Amino acid sequence: MSAVLEARNLSKWYGQVIAVNGVSFSVDAGVTGLLGPNGAGKSTLMKMIMGQLRPSQGEITVFGQRIWNNYPLFARMGFCPEQDSFYERMSGAEFVSSLLRLNGYSEEEVSRRTDAALERVRLTADRDKKIAAYSKGMRQRIKMAQTVAHDPEVIILDEPLAGMDPVGRHEAIQLVRDWGREGKCVVVSSHILHEIEAMTGNILLMHNGRVLAEGDVHQIRELIDKHPHNVHIRCSDPRRLAEALVGFSDVVGVRFHPEGNALTVESRQPDAFYDRLPGLLLSRGIDLDELTSPDDNLQAVFHYLVK
Amino acid sequence: MRNLVKPVKTIGLLTLDTLFWSKKTLFIAAVSLVIVGLAVLGRLILSFSWIRVPFTPEQVFGTLMATAVIHFLVTFVTLFYGTALISEELEGRTITYLFTRPVPKPAIMIGKYLALVWISSMLVIPTILVSYLVLYLGPDTTRLMRDVGTLGKDVGIVFLAMLVYGAFFSLLGAWLKHPILVGLIYAFGWEGIISYLPGFTRKLTVTHYVQSISPHADTASAIAMMIGERTPALESVITLVLMAAFFLASASLILREKEYVLEQ
Repeated sequence: MSAVLEARNLSKWYGQVIAVNGVSFSVDAGVTGLLGPNGAGKSTLMKMIMGQLRPSQGEITVFGQRIWNNYPLFARMGFCPEQDSFYERMSGAEFVSSLLRLNGYSEEEVSRRTDAALERVRLTADRDKKIAAYSKGMRQRIKMAQTVAHDPEVIILDEPLAGMDPVGRHEAIQLVRDWGREGKCVVVSSHILHEIEAMTGNILLMHNGRVLAEGDVHQIRELIDKHPHNVHIRCSDPRRLAEALVGFSDVVGVRFHPEGNALTVESRQPDAFYDRLPGLLLSRGIDLDELTSPDDNLQAVFHYLVK
Repeated sequence: MRNLVKPVKTIGLLTLDTLFWSKKTLFIAAVSLVIVGLAVLGRLILSFSWIRVPFTPEQVFGTLMATAVIHFLVTFVTLFYGTALISEELEGRTITYLFTRPVPKPAIMIGKYLALVWISSMLVIPTILVSYLVLYLGPDTTRLMRDVGTLGKDVGIVFLAMLVYGAFFSLLGAWLKHPILVGLIYAFGWEGIISYLPGFTRKLTVTHYVQSISPHADTASAIAMMIGERTPALESVITLVLMAAFFLASASLILREKEYVLEQ
């Protein structure tokens, strides 16, 4: 029996620029993380999986069929694109139901599925609000709602956690894991190892258009832990947070930022660091405004792997 | 086929919403008002005899239709909306949502085209009707009723012209990255010049067939008709319908086969 997704010697180039270079892999049911720094070719690969781009060379199949211009296959697939683009004048519910109508459902079915999808991404209360008035996290969630509203067997998520707050991130990660447990084939991309690791142990590691590694995340984890993991935190009191952090052995450096309300922490054990952080913030009454992990350290690991 | 009715309608409504609330609509509405304003001016001149002109309301309406509406407004409206059908989705990067649903791309094109025809009609046809009423309305309704047939013919011709130009500019929009410049050159260059040249080349313009069935003749089209015969009415109508079908089919084919790479 063939895999759900299968790529054979897949390449894509734009003029002189090679975005994806001779990639071969197969993906089955469950969650697969597509990990790589910005510009690695993840989005191009996902667009080829979704039939939005035509391979320059090689072949990609979904359920054993070619995807380019194969419209019936889209009834079995859902795509959450990277771009933050919407029909802004629509409400969240209108957006999801309009796209569901394209699947040919009856009005009752459209209504039922819209309600269920909005409930699943916890947007029921804001369903009638215009998308233009949504926060970044809500916009990510409404994209996820339209992705799964028609109950697809294959779910492709391009950087779904970008811009989400910690709570939204946690909920989205749970959703992805649930879909994997339900037997769906989920491919999710990120440039942050910690995010991918929270969703799956099964990864495809991409760099410069090539798949460098395929399989278990733990080996990559060990490699990355040898490099300090940068975490950028913007909060109400960075100095008090720094005081609390420097006592931990995994924290090897703290840098304050000139704007005064942010710091970058270097940790050798990002898992422990992320587990500990909410407690530290709560116990000291510090408000968290933003938590990001710059790409640089992952880039360093990729350079290390390439060498 | 029946399964595609709903997706086509949904695409049409999505497109209609996008087009209606775009700045283009405001601009086109302003241009339509200018045409109504010209009709008002014509009526005032006729009513108060400000200048001694041997014009009748029929002549003023005919000139307005042949020049301002058919040659300018229809071309202008379909150019701006037609070239925007795909490019606005590309610039807004929303096309991905349409292209990842189980809908054939030709059905997407047809839905968008129908929205274009609908919104163009909603802007152009009321402009014609209001201009007609402004010029003809008065205590004596005989004249108003007498030319209703001509008015109906005008509306039909304008609708046909919108079908053809709309399909052509949709084709440009699906095909080219920057379709508006090419569209402008075509609309006001090719159509504007070639249709007035003697010989067969005139038959390569939409304007020629529209002029052939128009009940009015502005100076330019009168000259054009003097230097060459009109194409028979039925042949003209069939040609216009075939042109629209050909352009729409080509636009659908391009949408199906072309790979649209969204800017990052």
